[in-house]
Amino acid sequence: MQLGKYVKFREEKFGGVLFETQSEKVYTLNPTAAAIIRELGSGCDATELTQRLADRFQAPMDTIERDVAALIADLRQKGLVEDARS
Amino acid sequence: MTQITGVTPLPGSSIPVSTPATTTSGMLRAPLYVAWQVTNECNLACMHCIEESGPGKAFKDELSKEQVFDVLRQIAENDVPYLSFSGGEPMLHPYFFEMVEYACSHGTQVKVETNAHYLSPEACARLKAAGVKAVQVSLDGANPESFGRMRVRGNFHQVIEGLHNLHEAGVPIEINHSPTGFNAHEIANMVDLSAEVGADSFYTGRTMYTGNAVKTWAKLNATDEQYEQFFATLREKTEQYRGRMRIHFHEMGLLEELQYRLHHPAALLIVLPNGLVKLINALPFVCGDLRRQSLTEIWAHFQQAWQDPRVAAFVHALEQDPGKTAMLHQWISV
Repeated sequence: MQLGKYVKFREEKFGGVLFETQSEKVYTLNPTAAAIIRELGSGCDATELTQRLADRFQAPMDTIERDVAALIADLRQKGLVEDARS
Repeated sequence: MTQITGVTPLPGSSIPVSTPATTTSGMLRAPLYVAWQVTNECNLACMHCIEESGPGKAFKDELSKEQVFDVLRQIAENDVPYLSFSGGEPMLHPYFFEMVEYACSHGTQVKVETNAHYLSPEACARLKAAGVKAVQVSLDGANPESFGRMRVRGNFHQVIEGLHNLHEAGVPIEINHSPTGFNAHEIANMVDLSAEVGADSFYTGRTMYTGNAVKTWAKLNATDEQYEQFFATLREKTEQYRGRMRIHFHEMGLLEELQYRLHHPAALLIVLPNGLVKLINALPFVCGDLRRQSLTEIWAHFQQAWQDPRVAAFVHALEQDPGKTAMLHQWISV
């Protein structure tokens, strides 16, 4: 999974922004969502992503899984992520 | 772990999802969008040109190659996600392709705004290879007659050929259209033509009473009734082309937009050919000079510059005297 071709991510003090340049829409992210997007930048799948965040935040896996799944569903629905291109 | 709230519009925006033009900029460490008018030189002399560009109209003090690439470096280092090159006609700039290639190769998404008279197959192939996000073509008529009336010295058939070349090369196409009293009735044909040439997006809105339009307004101005029909047709076309071509139009007039901006400065810097940075295109206020200041310094000053009382006073004065937009190019530092 990775960000869409026309989606740019930038970290900010408050978390981050996603800028979808085709529709020219801007979305803001809180710090945790920004951390997930940063991990997504490495092209990992949802399982890897959850493990990395669990390691980083020292939080229960099921909580993180729920959070990650909700965010990714939202990102997919908005067309901001896509499956990694081979 | 912090509760994830997902993706939300920036606070201060009154619309569900914001755009660079409507995003409250104060929270951001850098602009989201740099709109760079790389030269004031143009092969055309359009009746409505906000920049009053034309043949022989290049500024005497346009940025040197070294200065141009220094600005590009700063845009990349500041992680500005989106950059547009316009003019004048940007493809007349001596380093146009090098600039596009530099920005694209440094991760910036680039849009080129052109009149399409220089879009040869070779030029389109080079733009495709560079990886531009899109090329936006100004098309102000659905036929040679109305196009030629608006775009003085322009060639409708050359534009259509340029669009064909873009499509053949696989470069995403956007069409920008300015309505007038003599072309507003063609809007349905304009949208259809845009789809036929393979455009992904179509942009339009009220033509602004600025630049050359101040001098030609009697010939340009569309009536309220014409605009009513124009926007009604666009709403129908938006539905007709849903999923095939995005249609973007804004019904807000210039004054309403400026009044909104006073309270919601955009996350956008307008860079002039000589490196001066404007608050917004339709006002004469300049908030920095990239020949003497860094992009970071100018951005840090941007919010404060919008609060200068002269800016609000100018916008309020426009309510009484719309002709003040004729002073657009008499820059005032704030």
